[in-house]
Amino acid sequence: MLLQAKALLKSFGGLMAVYDVDLQVNTNEIVSIIGPNGAGKSTVFNLITGHIPLDKGTIFFKDKEITRLAPHEISRLGIGRSFQKLNIFPRLSTFQNVQVALFSATGLNRSLFSSAKKLLTEKVQDILESVGLADKAERPGGLLAHGDQKRLEIGIALALNPELLLLDEPTQGMSAAETAQTTELIHRLSKERGIGLALVEHDMKVVFSISDKIYVMHQGMIIFCGTPEEVRRNEEVQRVYLGKDKNSAAQS
Amino acid sequence: MEEISDKFHWLRGRVPRAILTVVVGGVMISLPLLIGKSWLSITIEMLIMALAACSLNLMLGYTGMVSFGPAGLYAVGAYTTAILLAKAGMNIVPSMVAAPIMAAIIGWAVGWICVRRTQVYFALLTLAFSQIIWTVIFEWYAVTGGDDGISSIPTPDFFFSLVNSYYFCLVLVSLCIFIIWKIVNSPFGRTLQAIRENPSRVEFIGVNVKRYQLAAFVLSSLFLGVAGSLYCVFSGSAFPDYAHWTKSTDMLVMCLLGGIYNFSGPIVGTAIYTILTKTISKHTMQWNLILGVIIVLLVLLMRNGVMGFLSQKLFRSK
Repeated sequence: MLLQAKALLKSFGGLMAVYDVDLQVNTNEIVSIIGPNGAGKSTVFNLITGHIPLDKGTIFFKDKEITRLAPHEISRLGIGRSFQKLNIFPRLSTFQNVQVALFSATGLNRSLFSSAKKLLTEKVQDILESVGLADKAERPGGLLAHGDQKRLEIGIALALNPELLLLDEPTQGMSAAETAQTTELIHRLSKERGIGLALVEHDMKVVFSISDKIYVMHQGMIIFCGTPEEVRRNEEVQRVYLGKDKNSAAQS
Repeated sequence: MEEISDKFHWLRGRVPRAILTVVVGGVMISLPLLIGKSWLSITIEMLIMALAACSLNLMLGYTGMVSFGPAGLYAVGAYTTAILLAKAGMNIVPSMVAAPIMAAIIGWAVGWICVRRTQVYFALLTLAFSQIIWTVIFEWYAVTGGDDGISSIPTPDFFFSLVNSYYFCLVLVSLCIFIIWKIVNSPFGRTLQAIRENPSRVEFIGVNVKRYQLAAFVLSSLFLGVAGSLYCVFSGSAFPDYAHWTKSTDMLVMCLLGGIYNFSGPIVGTAIYTILTKTISKHTMQWNLILGVIIVLLVLLMRNGVMGFLSQKLFRSK
């Protein structure tokens, strides 16, 4: 078991944001969390990566407890993530965005006097190629198109050579072509690198096409977990989320 | 870089940079032959302040930490050298070496507390600590001489010659600025820039943000200590004013004027600020007013400072 979260609980004031959530991700597995807005999906990610402290529950990563660790410690253990809102280093070049993450991964960022320019260039180039940004290496990250910035985020996360990658709405705001590209990228990451992937995603087409397992969240709770086929057949899921009109959920 | 398509792009290469370095270096070396004593003395001040501004910019421009207290650490450097020379009767070398060490130690203690807060609260803490340093200097008569400061410090005869002082400052300041340049272009420096850009994202690439911010604070303090020590040796005195918050804002203005996102910004800013101050104050008592208007205009017209403006105009890139 790569990631095992047990009985996660988090309330904000009076609001129970996450209640008794169990989540498991295996190596090579693509897991999606779906649910209406405000269901607590991103909060689950934030609890796992240490961004928000847990009220209750335990989280194990590769059989090591990470429940109370700081975000930088958790990411060093091999959990990478991308964010719902764009979250890159806008004034650094695309190349430098990935490079700085690699410095951290290799411990090189403690080096005070070597010249950064020529370090790890091949590795950076590899990652940029795998996320399809090799031709935009010199452009400042902040000037990239929306879809490219989203992919750059994945590139930054990949630089840490993660075993588990949490992607928060990786195709949000993307065109159909960009979505297809990104879906293909996610698929490839799981296949080639054997990374365990967990996604929060609103595009049902993406979710049902690539997920091995789907968690359905509603009002802070997991109301169902199963394969895409099982989720499609489940009546409660139909009622709270997929609804009568499948397309409206897919577009939100 | 593929987007640079304009006629100035040749300015970017290695050769023009080397030529520029040789020309600037040549002018700096021959400066005592070119200008009079009073301007040479102003240039020394300018060199020292340029080092102070570059040290501040290690935090301000490269790590995104707005400090209102660099003068406090600058004064720690100056007073360390002053006290060791005048009161402890020590030699010039250990007196000067002790300054950055002392500034780094105090910077570490102050920074350790300041980095616990961010943005405006961080700025307020740095201001508070520099005021504490100022107060200690002002009140501790037995050691610092209080508001009289420490004057007629016994510096070696070598420094009685303005030209000697100039070359001494030129070498030391160049060396320190070169080291700062190495630091900002290292993987460590790149990590600082990533923190400036997006501190919360950096945590998720496995960087302990507070530790790096503290490292930037300590390094900045260290070089501020060198600058303070140099000024003490050059002027043969140390006064509480060195630690005053207006000195800190001077340094901030120098950085902002020149541009905090360009390495040479603080140096150019210092030159402009110093030259403006000295020339305007020769002509009128109201020089502060005129200086203020000029600075407001420069800041409004040139986003990212003079160097940011120039590099954008010349290369159309950030």
